[in-house]
Amino acid sequence: MAMTDVPPAGAATATAIDVPRWAWALAALGVLSLYVVSQENGALLSAGAAEYLHELTHDARHALGAPCH
Amino acid sequence: MPFTRLLRDGVVAGAAAGLGAALVLWLLVEPIIRRALVIEEARGGADHATGEGPLVSRALQVVGGLTTAAVVGVLVGVVFAVVFARTRHLLPGSTDLGRAAALALVGFTVVTLLPGLKLPANPPAVGDPATVTERTLLYLLTILLGLLVVGLVLAADGWLTHRGVAAPSRTVAKTVLAIGGAVAVLALVPGSPDSVPKDVPATLLWDFRVASLAQLAAMWLVLGLGFGALAEARTRAQRVAAPASV
Repeated sequence: MAMTDVPPAGAATATAIDVPRWAWALAALGVLSLYVVSQENGALLSAGAAEYLHELTHDARHALGAPCH
Repeated sequence: MPFTRLLRDGVVAGAAAGLGAALVLWLLVEPIIRRALVIEEARGGADHATGEGPLVSRALQVVGGLTTAAVVGVLVGVVFAVVFARTRHLLPGSTDLGRAAALALVGFTVVTLLPGLKLPANPPAVGDPATVTERTLLYLLTILLGLLVVGLVLAADGWLTHRGVAAPSRTVAKTVLAIGGAVAVLALVPGSPDSVPKDVPATLLWDFRVASLAQLAAMWLVLGLGFGALAEARTRAQRVAAPASV
């Protein structure tokens, strides 16, 4: 892509870094946790637990732009 | 560079980004939330908890909110590290700092700005509890379609490279595709079904949305530059140790 650039050593050979399988599971867990913390309103948790979580994370949800009431 | 070190960079930079976001939340967003809560209270009705008084006290909500902002930073940092490792060879930039900044910019645009334009952040006293599920689905749909546009841009780049199209032309094509894709997503996804209640001033809404974007921009900025600086330091150290194989 950057054929005309004069990149510092290493740049031309930039490669993807091997991601172990467990790391993909970790990333998936991270995405799920992000959903639970910022968006969950009863799809996964019981209504009571979801409501408590919603109220506890309330200010951050508003600030993060997550749909809230 | 072993992945585990990169992951550690993601956690460290993510924690810094989360703390930065929490600071902006505390200094800029909370005062506006307090203005909105005054409106909510003036309505006199039951607040968030259905009629039985608050489920979580205001003080705990503030602490919980700040903690959540910090936790979100760490979680985004972990995902960021994995995506960075996998897409390092695709990212523009000749250093890891540049590549990380580019990835953070893509992240901000797709995960924050795009859904933020379609369903802008609202302070308390605005959202209709009855539509929260619908709005959540629209919000997540916007992010997914944004990621699809990124995938299309990458696919187009590969296809054009394969056909021998020169780099400047490819850049133009990718830019047009990315902007066109973003516009299409914004045009196709339905907007929020809510209307803003009459007792919420437009200035309050505007101030809140700007403060919310500032907080999220701070998070992505600290994450991208922090992660990039850490990864860059590793690459350099490695280069000094073993100049032949980076």
